[in-house]
Order: sequence, then structure tokens, then C-alpha cells
Amino acid sequence: MASSVLAPTAEEIPDFSTEAYKSAYSRINAIVIEGEQEAYDNYLSLVTLLPDQQESLGQLARMELKHMKGFQACGKNLGVEPDMAFAKTFFAPLHNNFETALAEGKVVSCLVIQALMIEAFAIAAYHIYIPVADPFARKITEGVVKDEYTHLNYGQEWLKARFEDVRGEIEQANKINLPIIRRMLDQVADDAAVLHMEKESLIEDFLIAYQEALMEIGFASRDLARMSAAALVA
Amino acid sequence: MFGLIGHSSSFRDARLKARDLGLEELAEGELDLWCSAPPQLVETFELTSATGQTIQGTYIDSCFVPEMLSRFKTATRKVQNAMELAQKKGINITALGGFTSIIFENFNLAKFQQIRATLLQWERFTTGNTHTAWVICRQVEQNAPRLGIDLTKAKVAVVGATGDIGSAVCRWLSRRTGVAELLLVARQQQRLEDLRQELGGGRVLSLEEALPEADVVVWVASLPQTLSIEAESLRKPCLMIDGGYPKNLDTRVASEHVTVLKGGIVEFVRDIGWQMMEMAEMSNPRRQLFACFAEAMLLEFEGWHTNFSWGRNNITLEAMEQIGAASIRHGFSALGLEPVEAPAIALVA
Repeated sequence: MASSVLAPTAEEIPDFSTEAYKSAYSRINAIVIEGEQEAYDNYLSLVTLLPDQQESLGQLARMELKHMKGFQACGKNLGVEPDMAFAKTFFAPLHNNFETALAEGKVVSCLVIQALMIEAFAIAAYHIYIPVADPFARKITEGVVKDEYTHLNYGQEWLKARFEDVRGEIEQANKINLPIIRRMLDQVADDAAVLHMEKESLIEDFLIAYQEALMEIGFASRDLARMSAAALVA
Repeated sequence: MFGLIGHSSSFRDARLKARDLGLEELAEGELDLWCSAPPQLVETFELTSATGQTIQGTYIDSCFVPEMLSRFKTATRKVQNAMELAQKKGINITALGGFTSIIFENFNLAKFQQIRATLLQWERFTTGNTHTAWVICRQVEQNAPRLGIDLTKAKVAVVGATGDIGSAVCRWLSRRTGVAELLLVARQQQRLEDLRQELGGGRVLSLEEALPEADVVVWVASLPQTLSIEAESLRKPCLMIDGGYPKNLDTRVASEHVTVLKGGIVEFVRDIGWQMMEMAEMSNPRRQLFACFAEAMLLEFEGWHTNFSWGRNNITLEAMEQIGAASIRHGFSALGLEPVEAPAIALVA
């Protein structure tokens, strides 16, 4: 019975000074910086499709820029040079899909990619990172994660207000992009493990945030499991 | 709104259930995939009390399966994430079913109240153990006489006597039922001695010593993998109440002299419009359910939005009486050996 199971242990804090940690951090930190930079670009690009949202989108974009600078400071604090070339390649498939959707005027797909998937991904990763982060990065990340919820909320509210008209395109964007998110999680898993962030919980936490947004938007609970299954299958 | 957090009884069952729901990827996925699956809000349904009052409930599957027990972090996440989902959905009172409360208690998850952006409010949850303990005692009281066992002369062994449910059962059987003698079986000797002193009686025995002496055996611990019971060495007749989880005692003893009854199960007065109990190995899944789940229903019927059962060894006889009276009032009866008699109430269609 359950009593035969080991007692819980406190979250283990990694040694931030090892070469292995710094090497992994150079890629993870770069992904985070690139993610915030792309989020900034994406929200500003969305103004072309949603001119009446210029003010809100501009505000979101400015927050992302602030986050990016915070995460750059985290790298500097540990004496780590972020591997930005790696991060650009890492984001390329999702970035390309966003650009294509933008060029086709598909605002729903753009919001699903940026405001739902990337934000849910960030929320999951930041929550899991905080307990195992160095004290400097922890403080920065705690501030950032609060903002990311408001970003997720922005996309959520916009899509919710038009649910019946947009649900088909959400499902389509989900189908195309969720497997990419899953591959991104796989790609980052080994480095994340060095930072004591487990892939298993990254995927679960991502899906929790993502499903919660979908449910808020108007999908029934049974749709959620069906839509998110693509993220579970490797 | 009340909530139930449950899980499949095995990985195999979980996959079958996923297939039923049309989730092929999950149905075909390996255990690792399930370890990353978030909790699912499976269904919302209505329940009408014997008094005519109707309430709504939600069933959440934590996506935990017993095969995950050896993975501490995974099991912990499943429980915490399901609780967070229940709270976020605004559910007033949610019962932690099956292994959920066992994991919560054994892993001491009360230490971890903050789940991401959510501060768990313990008063929204109940282990359901008070009702379970009351139902098990009632099963002893109602069914032993049917086998010709006179409880005032009987020895009743409680296996797992020092647990939350076990200690409550001991208290009730010694002070309310008035059984002749309690045989106390558990692993921790100090706790057993403390319990014996609190009860002012009872004999501390090993399992091997207790079984041949007992007219009634109440199991509220899960069975050791290696346990085998020699039916011939037991009393004739012998009533065994299988109150552990999972309920697999009947696979360990087979004899015409030994009667095994699933413990801590209740039957509701009318059909419940839910789907998920179909897989829970109940003989009548429309009406039968775990008493711990029924506790959440009772707390919602009564408007007692509080963690009625919480922590370890906090169950009082008064609380058992209180939940027991509510149980009868709203149309629950303890699962018995013969078809459960319908409570004498006028059904409101």
C-alpha cells in the first residue's frame, strides 16, 4: 500500500556553478530570451490585423520586452552567454507558422500560437523553474509569471467573445501546432533535466494551463482531452 | 456543487476507459504518457436525495493509476493538480477517492498548499473517512447477525487499527456496538499501544495470531502482496469486511465458511445519472459508490461546506453519528450481504 512508498524529499537545488549547469543554461536561457523577443514581435505584428487593439497589444509587447531584459540579466548573473543561434532554430517551426498565419490574415491562428500555446508553455516552464532557480533568477521569474497569465488571458478573452465563429480555426491551429510544441518540449528535455526541471511535469503543467484556457474560451471538457492528446504523444 | 476526485483501479482499466471516451492516443499510450496527462473534468451530473433535494456534482479523474505509486513526484502531482482543478472550478466540497487521500496523507501533502498560482483551501476537501468508518461499522452491525454471529460475544479483529478509518472503527465498535473483544492489528507497536489505552481495552496481536480467533475481521489496510490466508484456520462462520483499497480480499480467501463483503460501499436510493462508476467494479454502478464519495454528497446536501474529515485520527463518535444520520436521511444504505432493503420513504419522482 501507499505507506511502502518513499517519503517526500525537498526540491533539490542544483549546483549553479558547474560547467554542465552553465552549458544547459546557455540554451535554456537563450530559449527564454528568444521566446520573449518573439512574443514582443508577434504582439506588435498582430496590430496589423487588429488595429483597434493597438493599445492593448502594445502594452503586452512592452511587458515581453521587459521580461526579455530580465532574463538577459539572469544569464549575465551566472556568467553564461546565451546560445541565441540555437534558440532561433528552436523556435523556427512555430515562428514560421505564425508568420504564415499572419500573412494570410489568420488572426485566430496567430492568437492560438502566441497567446495560448507560447504563453501556456512559458507559464508551465516558469512555475517549474522557480523552485530550482538561483535566487536572482527566481525573483525575476516570479515577477514574469504573473504577467504571463494576463497575456494568456488576453488571447483567451478575445477568442471567447467570438467562440462560435472561431472554434473551427482554433481546432485547426491546435492540430497543426501542438505537435510542434511537443517536439520543442522533447528537444529541451535533457537541458531542462540538468536544471532539475522534469519533462513529465513540464508537459503536464503546459497542458493544464492550455486546457484551462481552452475551457475558458468555451470548449467542453471532453474536447480538451481530445485536442490536447497530440501533445502527449511523442 | 460537490466534487469527486477518482482514478482508474489499474492502468489497464484507465486505457479501456480512454478508449470508451474516444481518446485513442491515451488508450494506446504507455504509462509514461499517462504520467504527463493532466486531470480531466469528466462529467457533471445531478443527484436527488430521498428528501427530494437535488444537487449537482462533478467527477474529476486525476489520471493517476496505482502503477504510479512508486513514482513519488508523479503521484503527488496527480493529487495536487486534481485538487487545484476542483478548487478552480469553484466546487464547494470535494472528496478525495481511492488512493487520492492515501497519497495526500502518506506524502504529507498538507505541507504544500501553494499549487502554481492557487493556494489550496483545505476546507473545500474531505477524505470522506468519517462516513467510510461509519458505514463499515454499520456493515459489521447489520451483517454479522445474519451469519449467526452475536456481536456481544464476538471477537472483532481490526487490521489497520491505528489508521484514520481503523481507529474510528475501533472506537465505535467498542463504545457504541459493544463487541465482546477487539483484536488490534497494525504495524506500529507504539501507536497500537496508544490506541489500546485510549479504548481502555482490546488486545494487540499479530495478523497471524488474530485471524484464527476472529469472528469478524475488518480490513482497513491494503493487503500485503504476499498475504495468503488459510481459510481452514479461520472461525466458522467468519465475516470479513474488505474496507481497504483496492478491494481484492475475495481473491485471497475462498471458503464457504468465510463471507467477504466489500467494505465502505453504500447504495443510493435511486439511480445516479453518471457514467464513470461503470468501471469501478460495483455490481450496481448506477447506485453503488464509495462511502467517501457519498460524504461529499452529504456535505453538499446539508450545506456543511467544511473539511469534515481531515488529518489523521480526528474522527469522533459524534461526527460519525452526525454523518450517519445524514446518510440515512438522504437515502444511502450500507452495502449488505443480501439485497439492500429499500429505505421506507416515499420516492419523489
